[in-house]
Amino acid sequence: MGASILTARNLSKAVPGTEGELTILHPLSLELAAGDSLAIVGASGSGKSTLLGLLAGLDLPSTGEVSLAGHGLASLDEDRRAQVRAEHVGFVFQSFQLLDSLNALENVMLPMELHGRADAREQARLLLGRVGLGHRLGHWPRQLSGGEQQRVAIARAFAAEPSVLFADEPTGNLDSQTGERISDLLFELNRERGTTLVLVTHDERLAQRCRRQIRLDAGRLVPPLEP
Amino acid sequence: MNGLPLLRLCSLALRQVVRDARAGELRVLFFALVIAVACSSAIGYFGARLNAAMALRASEFLAADLVLQGTTEARPEQLRQGQALGLAHAKTVEFTSVAATDASIQLSSIKAVEAPYPLRGQLKSSAEPYGAEQAGGLPGAGEAWVEPRLLAALNVKVGGNLDIGTKTLRISRVLTYEPDRAADFYSLIPRVLMNLADLAATGILQPGSRVSFRDLWRGAPALIAQYREQVQGSLAPNQRLLDSHDGNRQVGGALGKAESYLNLASLVAVMLAGVAVALSANRYAARRFDTSALLRCLGLSRLDTLLLFSLQLTLVGLAASLAGALMGWLSQFALFALLHGLLPASIPSAGPAPALAGVGTGLAALAGFALPPLMALGRVPPLRVLRRDLLPAPAASWAVYGTAVLAVGLIMWRLSLDLRLTLALLAGGVVAALVLGALLVGVLRRLRGALANAPLPWRLGLGQLLRHPTAAAGQALAFGLILFAMALVVLLRTELLDTWQQQLPKEAPNYFAVNILPGERDAFAQQLGADGARASPLYPVVPGRLTHIDGQPVADRVSAGSRGERATQRDLSLTWAAELPAGNQITAGQWWQPTIAGELPGVSVEGELAQSLGLTIGSTLTFNVGGVVRDARITSLRSIHWDNFQPNFFIIFQPGTLQDLPATYLGSFYLAPGNDARIVALSRAFPATTLLQVDAVLAQLRSILAQVTLAVQFVLLFVLAAGVAVLFAGLQATLDERIRQGALLRALGAARPLLVSARRIEFAVLGAASGGVAALATEAASWALYRFALQLPWAPHPWLLLLPLAGAALVGLAGMLGTCRALAASPLAVLREA
Repeated sequence: MGASILTARNLSKAVPGTEGELTILHPLSLELAAGDSLAIVGASGSGKSTLLGLLAGLDLPSTGEVSLAGHGLASLDEDRRAQVRAEHVGFVFQSFQLLDSLNALENVMLPMELHGRADAREQARLLLGRVGLGHRLGHWPRQLSGGEQQRVAIARAFAAEPSVLFADEPTGNLDSQTGERISDLLFELNRERGTTLVLVTHDERLAQRCRRQIRLDAGRLVPPLEP
Repeated sequence: MNGLPLLRLCSLALRQVVRDARAGELRVLFFALVIAVACSSAIGYFGARLNAAMALRASEFLAADLVLQGTTEARPEQLRQGQALGLAHAKTVEFTSVAATDASIQLSSIKAVEAPYPLRGQLKSSAEPYGAEQAGGLPGAGEAWVEPRLLAALNVKVGGNLDIGTKTLRISRVLTYEPDRAADFYSLIPRVLMNLADLAATGILQPGSRVSFRDLWRGAPALIAQYREQVQGSLAPNQRLLDSHDGNRQVGGALGKAESYLNLASLVAVMLAGVAVALSANRYAARRFDTSALLRCLGLSRLDTLLLFSLQLTLVGLAASLAGALMGWLSQFALFALLHGLLPASIPSAGPAPALAGVGTGLAALAGFALPPLMALGRVPPLRVLRRDLLPAPAASWAVYGTAVLAVGLIMWRLSLDLRLTLALLAGGVVAALVLGALLVGVLRRLRGALANAPLPWRLGLGQLLRHPTAAAGQALAFGLILFAMALVVLLRTELLDTWQQQLPKEAPNYFAVNILPGERDAFAQQLGADGARASPLYPVVPGRLTHIDGQPVADRVSAGSRGERATQRDLSLTWAAELPAGNQITAGQWWQPTIAGELPGVSVEGELAQSLGLTIGSTLTFNVGGVVRDARITSLRSIHWDNFQPNFFIIFQPGTLQDLPATYLGSFYLAPGNDARIVALSRAFPATTLLQVDAVLAQLRSILAQVTLAVQFVLLFVLAAGVAVLFAGLQATLDERIRQGALLRALGAARPLLVSARRIEFAVLGAASGGVAALATEAASWALYRFALQLPWAPHPWLLLLPLAGAALVGLAGMLGTCRALAASPLAVLREA
């Protein structure tokens, strides 16, 4: 493992509720080295997605600090955080989240174009070929099956060569066979490219494929499950 | 759960509506409907009341709502019928006679009146010539009110005496305005207004005297209609009924055009609101696919599911309609308050009819535009509970468009009450939508190919449009409809009204000179030139009556009450002219050809009169001119531009035909205001000539035109409001998708300027496409309007080329405002949605 790429210290999140402030994530700290992989598991409503959002800079914590690739996210405004995400982060979502108005090739090109890369089209072709969709470049998301859409999403996630890849229930919307193939693809690419992986999942088997796991329960970190 | 009782469904629907309302789900649909109904009601109220007010103003030209006119007194039973209905009544007697002083005489038009004349409008008079006007009053017994030129002609002052026949009257005031004077101002000679009580003492009215008896009636429209029906059958050949539409040709035309304007603007507003309803209903239905699938899954029948959602929309529709009707009702009060200074003090009320019609229009729009998307809820497959990507089978296009077209057709029919015009507009609208839609889809498909290497903001911005070219074309057509409405309105308000008003130019003739003696003709023309007046040619006038057509008495050729009958029951002003007068156009035959010896001389007849009398080219007409009979053969038919305030004639003879008969001359001229002394001098120099001041008539016409302009501008505000509703309903319909996309792009690291650029491009292109569509449609509509509806000459409008730019700016701005939530979407939303 390399140097630390993602650090969270004393991270918590509270939201206003009808009966005062509601803490949905109690203070926790963690550190992840470059190339490492972490699974966040827990029941529905345990705070997994909240933690993922805070780590990826999609939301700001109520207390604590996140450092991503050397950038302290709490001190950055949304535009600067977007820039950090564009440079260092990739996402894979449960519901694929492809842009309906762009075809498969354009969806994969998107992060590279945001990064200003001139070879976006060529790289996107290669990546789609890598995930087995070289023949589906011009297809619209609606013309693709769920598994195919998720493969496009994975290709897009790796397109900008992110330092950290955040995956939120990446197999949650897929059947077990397709889900298996998708998780294989995800870990293969992760290995190939040395990307740090943060994975939120219900799937214990999928979680076991990560080097580290943490479990959340009602917003609290429970003792880590050591392999 | 099959066969749920209706009451349970209603209760369920009500609960759901309340819940949706609390969550703001129905806001857009509700407000779109409120606008539709408010527009319709307000325009209905405003149109109904303004039309009634304008009809009142127009009836001023009759000084009554209905006039029974004849050359003999009305029969007692005809008067009793009107009195039995409780109608207000006044009698006037009009004849031509000589007004005399000790020193001079002047042929005058004498009118004897009794209170409460006039029944509509007011007399105006002044204490001295060209002095301050005062409204109201009536000459008392022994008094006369006279026009200023009579004072000049007779060299008499207010307070002096005037003999009418054997009765001496004291001139008590100067008559400056008489509401029903405009009806026939070609034959005007100076007016003397006297009290009816003095008439018998004049000794003028003898058997055979040429007199016009007029019984004036005023009352509620229904009672007037009833009286008209009762009297119609008992009219003697020498009697006829006049209403506001007959009262004055110019005002009648103005009213007709005003009605066309209001109804057209109403139609555009309601159609726009209908589009807003359709967009909102689409969103409403799409957001209920899951609920529908769940209900079906739980066992609710397809029919009950559909009924449940229909009931919800009906409840929303009723609530919105009531709110809209109230808003429309209140809006018209605000409008009339704003126009307080310009409208008559008393505006008739319109009752609940416009509000009810507005509610009906709203519900029709809801049914026509919301039903097709609502029907989709009945087709949602229950399997959607497992597979959210499953969508209901799309409805047959004919059903979707057919329902909307039917609703629009009904609304159009209600507004215009002209089935032919309604169907023509409807068919034109459908054809235009198909043609323009196909054109747009074609253009977008071509653009798609060109987009492969476009920069990211362009691909993001246009991606949405290009992914569903048909939807994009529909959107462009919807926005195009708004721009079309705006452009049409601008065109109508500025250009068309200008064209209309240009028919009454500021320097339109403001005096008519009548009864110019042949020996004074040249001197009169020279004096006009010296006074700096702009004069029309002087036309000879020979009074004559048309007696036979092709040897057959005219009485056998005309139907009762027709224009032809009216024209043949009085002396016509016959003239001759070598050149076709300005404002006249030959519609059939030819202007004069050299006459061959033995052939009848030629005569040219006004087209509508010819139609009424069944005249054609070649017909032989026989005229009786003071006992002299003259035959002529019709060589041409003419259309006449009646609004030009030039002397116009139904019958024009070939030169050389009437020259041997006694004639006077008639002309019109413009003399700038402030030249009253010259008019007095002219009147003194040519005492036999009557100078008719038409400024008052023109001012009254302009006042009516100003009212109409304001009315149209007000109606346009509603059109614009409806247009904005469409725009925002359209944006609202796509807002969820935009928020999702915005959040995703932000999550992937897109900076805000990229999102802003993409949106700008999308809406600017959409607006430009809409503008292009609107420019084409406006040009086509303007051509049709000018050519068919308003019968004015048409010319292309190069300024319409600015519409794509205006569209890009307008839709771009509105789009940015309407989607700012999408730009500010938190990237966290992508995780929450997942």
